Amino acid sequence: MRIVTTRRISQAFFFALFLWFCIVSTVGEKIWQLRGWPVDLFLWLDPLAAIGTVLTTHTLYRPLVWAVGVIVLTIVFGRFFCGWLCPFGTLHHFVGYLANRKKTAVQRIRLNKYRKAQCIKYLILIVLLFMAAFPSLAATLQTGLLDPICLVSRSFNLLLLPILDRSVNFISVSARFYEGAWLIMSVFLTAVLLNLVIPRFYCRFVCPLGALLGIISRFSIWRIGQKEGECTDCKLCEKSCEGACEPAGKIRISECVLCFNCLDDCKHELIGYQTIPSRTGEITDPDVSRRGFVLSLTSGVLAVPAIRLSNKIGANWHHRVIRPPGSLPEPEFLKRCIKCGQCMRVCPTNVIQPGGFEGGMENLWTPVLNNRIGSSGCQLNCTACGQVCPTFAIRPITLAEKLGQDQFAQAGPIRIGTAFFDRNRCLPWAMDKPCIVCEENCPVSPKAIYTEEIFTTIRDGRLTVKEAAPDVIHVEQNLVPGKFATGDYYCVLDADNRIKIAANTENSIEFSPDQKLQKTPPAGGKIEIQVRLQRPYVDIEKCIGCGVCEHECPVSGKKAVRVSAEGETRSADRRLLLEPG
Amino acid sequence: MPSVPGRNRRLESVVSVLLLAVLLLIAVGVLIKQADSDMTRFGLDANSALYSEKTQTGLQEPPDLAALLPKGFKEFSPPETYEAANLYEKINGKAPLYLDAGFLNLFTQRFASQDDESLWMELYLFDMAALRNAFSVYSVQKRADVETLPDMQFAYKTTNALFLVHGRYYIELLGSDESPDLLAAMTDVADNVTSRLKVTKTAQIPELNLFPQENIIPGSIKLSLKDTFGFEDLTDTFSCHYKLNDQSITAFISRRPDARNAQLIAKSYSDFLIENGATNKTAGNEVLKNIGARVLDFYDTTEIIFTVGPFVGGIHEAEDQKAAEEQAVKLIDKLTESAKTQK
Amino acid sequence: MTEHNNNEVGRRQFLGRVTKAGVSIAAAGIIAAKLYDVQGPKPGVKAEDLVTLPDFSIPQENGRTISIVTGPDRTQTVGMAIELLGGIGRFVKEGQTVAIKPNVAFASPSKFGATANPDLVAELVRLCYGAGAKRVIVTDNPINDPASCFTLSGIGKAASQAGAKVILPRDHLFRHTTLTNGRLIRNWPIYFEPFEKVDRLIGVGPVKHHERSGASMTMKNWYGLLGGRRNVFHQDINTIIAELAMMVKPTLVILDGTEVMMTNGPTGGSLSDLKRKNTLIASTDMVAADSCGAGLLDLKVSDLAYLAKAAKAEAGTTDYESLKPKRAAVG
Repeated sequence: MRIVTTRRISQAFFFALFLWFCIVSTVGEKIWQLRGWPVDLFLWLDPLAAIGTVLTTHTLYRPLVWAVGVIVLTIVFGRFFCGWLCPFGTLHHFVGYLANRKKTAVQRIRLNKYRKAQCIKYLILIVLLFMAAFPSLAATLQTGLLDPICLVSRSFNLLLLPILDRSVNFISVSARFYEGAWLIMSVFLTAVLLNLVIPRFYCRFVCPLGALLGIISRFSIWRIGQKEGECTDCKLCEKSCEGACEPAGKIRISECVLCFNCLDDCKHELIGYQTIPSRTGEITDPDVSRRGFVLSLTSGVLAVPAIRLSNKIGANWHHRVIRPPGSLPEPEFLKRCIKCGQCMRVCPTNVIQPGGFEGGMENLWTPVLNNRIGSSGCQLNCTACGQVCPTFAIRPITLAEKLGQDQFAQAGPIRIGTAFFDRNRCLPWAMDKPCIVCEENCPVSPKAIYTEEIFTTIRDGRLTVKEAAPDVIHVEQNLVPGKFATGDYYCVLDADNRIKIAANTENSIEFSPDQKLQKTPPAGGKIEIQVRLQRPYVDIEKCIGCGVCEHECPVSGKKAVRVSAEGETRSADRRLLLEPG
Repeated sequence: MPSVPGRNRRLESVVSVLLLAVLLLIAVGVLIKQADSDMTRFGLDANSALYSEKTQTGLQEPPDLAALLPKGFKEFSPPETYEAANLYEKINGKAPLYLDAGFLNLFTQRFASQDDESLWMELYLFDMAALRNAFSVYSVQKRADVETLPDMQFAYKTTNALFLVHGRYYIELLGSDESPDLLAAMTDVADNVTSRLKVTKTAQIPELNLFPQENIIPGSIKLSLKDTFGFEDLTDTFSCHYKLNDQSITAFISRRPDARNAQLIAKSYSDFLIENGATNKTAGNEVLKNIGARVLDFYDTTEIIFTVGPFVGGIHEAEDQKAAEEQAVKLIDKLTESAKTQK
Repeated sequence: MTEHNNNEVGRRQFLGRVTKAGVSIAAAGIIAAKLYDVQGPKPGVKAEDLVTLPDFSIPQENGRTISIVTGPDRTQTVGMAIELLGGIGRFVKEGQTVAIKPNVAFASPSKFGATANPDLVAELVRLCYGAGAKRVIVTDNPINDPASCFTLSGIGKAASQAGAKVILPRDHLFRHTTLTNGRLIRNWPIYFEPFEKVDRLIGVGPVKHHERSGASMTMKNWYGLLGGRRNVFHQDINTIIAELAMMVKPTLVILDGTEVMMTNGPTGGSLSDLKRKNTLIASTDMVAADSCGAGLLDLKVSDLAYLAKAAKAEAGTTDYESLKPKRAAVG
């Protein structure tokens, strides 16, 4: 059995596993749902996520210890992760193969030659890591922007899956939406389509994880290289070279992704995977110029303070950046969030959305709640997002902690924001229409939304009596038939007499038999039509910011009750109340 | 390794087979992992105790205390209501015990005999928000050598007082005198409580059935909500006493959110004991060895700590290691068995 | 090259690689083990990172707790007031460092009385140096822009000219604290570092009307030590002022009632808000000083709820007459 075949099986296996994890990330206990599937496996194995969070937090969060295993194996064998395991790498590999399979050997050798620009990925890595490492007070983790595992998770979960599932609704009962998915799509499609220009374009020029593993592979024990023998310099070994590492000449170890194609392609069987350097020599270090290094280091160090100049995590924070329950305080959160999108994928109500630039550059693709999207705000009895977060940016809280029960009773429930009424838009407040959908749907117990009853005379509600009987009043004015039959309208004869209207015709108002008029108004007398309203209020000591009210509000354009992140438990400087209720 | 041209196809095949075996192992690992279909950690368990008994905060409507009045008795003082802020005024230094256990309100009233006003009792109705909380304050205050009441799950009486748990309520009836008449009236009140005071019926304390019944000292189960055995992180822990050949053995269990947390708590508890002077001992019993139980010597007493799934369990301050280990094994068996039946 | 040589070279190269790989694996392993974190961080500030403000108070001496001096010239009245309590030597010893915390809350010229009087601050600095102080710092965490506040109030210039070091509040000078028995000051950032290493603390501020609490005097002056979004405390102003009196234990406070802001406090902005009362109080008991100062605003002790709260917390007494104030008039 050839090793290349095994490599292909491995790639297929891991790609299928990755796809399967994307599919099953729906909360539920059926075999094709979340249950115990380790859906974060590829993120746990991601050395860039591990090293990135180590740099920002100076700790290695439990599951990321798997990535240390990948690092150790890379030290022994080289970049096996890129050629054998990485689902994004596999995708590029496959697309590149499809795009170039008809080309001649000469063309393909040209396509797969080493290019100076391959050093760009190291520069990207340096920028990202220095953003994470310096200065320690304002570290931010932006590796997730280009980390292939995060990128591919995000793209499959938030882009391809919802599109494919739209017609069958197998994965989700109702269609899933992700705000700003076009940007995720642009990045993803660009990365995939660039394979038509150069195979594994992303891996060779962009991928910061590949760069990291490339640097680590300089220590590897086994490496690809030429054996002693009669090489005819036919360069066929470079025909299918995935890493563009030039095995025909001085092989560039840091570029080699261990595809083993050269073993097959060398007709003289001169290429081996060996513990001594190649006959033609090898280059172990990445081809990064001193100038490039200094430049990217400087940009990395300066980028964070520059981004932070907009003060988006300080006083100028954006009120709509509502983080999932259990999220760490914003500075700590940004040190850990790798923008993988797992929380957005798993959220059963689809309320967790990829963030845009409203919270600053760093907010891009981090989880933000948008109560206008999804099936019902943040579900009270759910802690799924924290359970799948691979880096502890969202803590894996228990339901008791979320709801402030048992040992968390003193601390109270976790608040993610506070609802505010817009009295200029609210139906009972601004338009004298009964509503209180928000109050009914408030899941907090006792309810955080309460109402006060008020009676108010409607527009054109002052009428003149033509003729009156105990159960009906005929009026001079024209009425819309049935308008007052909803049970919310009352007829006011005088200060003491307010009687519920049962029905109305074009020019009469009728009362039900059990609520007849005690005394009938005289002809020519004045009556008023009043509406009974319950006007909603928020009790900010009870509100947890779940957003169910905002989601349900019938004022659908700009909601009349909206949650913003003031009062969230996680940050002391965004509190609204002196003490939680 | 010699660097000779030509491919060693045999070696390639062997390596390939090995690698495929690794893939297979990974697949098996993933399949094993997915078998855990416990959805409680996602907050989506419809049977969770948290659902059936929703905690409420703030001042509740006072229950109708007059409805609890026993025959031949009259209201002797107006009903009073206390909140967390003024609980001290009524029960003074005992307040923290209740406040730490989820206390919401205390309702009190005195009832006196219609014939003899010197015979009166005071009813203390503590609304503890949840059955577990109520059971906790009941169990940790329970007097030794008392008479438990039949027909009631958690109730006992002394010569002049009666104590019981009913759903979220913990009730104390304290009499003015040691009188059989008064005690009879208190039993009446207790009956009225169970029949007239509305509570969520579904609430249960599953842990109570997880202690092996053999040799157990009846009614010795206690629930400590925090700081169990002086260790801060050992929260929500049930303990009970066994009588074995004139020796008393204390066993304990605590259900954690998941197995990982259980292992963590077990480790940090044993670290805590070691910090305070305990030393490691070898387990004599194979079962304990197999599940990686920690056996410690703590100033000549034996401590055993183990985990079974989400449970931390163990034996606390036992005089005799052998007896302690035997009791531990029984507890492990019981926990394992109940885990099976649950699935 | 013979095959044997070839093998020998290959073996050495192999061993070289193995050593390198072994060392790097070991390094990765050690680092991973060192940084391994099972639980993730607990929310909130760690208990060990909390600080407590030092106690700057000096032993009480009967009959020398509070002095009330009348006169138009603050440099004279403050000297006399301190003299009556035993002289500056009782409060500042040779070689000590002193922090003076004036009320510099607003970027407002001193003539409007919204801030401490610069001449008074300068005189205090001179007195401290006169008693042999090694170093005097003057600092506050104002409400308006700090640099502007120190400039416009004139306190910055006056203090520097008298030889004090003026310190502006910078982010890194704040630490979290929790007040024992406090309800509001829990895990809250306070302006800490400048006060951490000084030996003495003197508070100085004017008597001002304050819309929310009634009056801003020496106790309210410590609001300037609070960091973070401290304006949430206005939801319970009386408790926070009382807690400040519990948290801060100054050596001495100077309450300046020479010109009292009677209305539109705490910012004022018009000379018509001020009324000349020519009174200056020095005290080692803030509650007593403020209780006495209430009278200058035509208020009773019972009008200021925080006084009773602070007294209940044993931060001082509201019955200042029981302390037998020393009285004098100068000028």
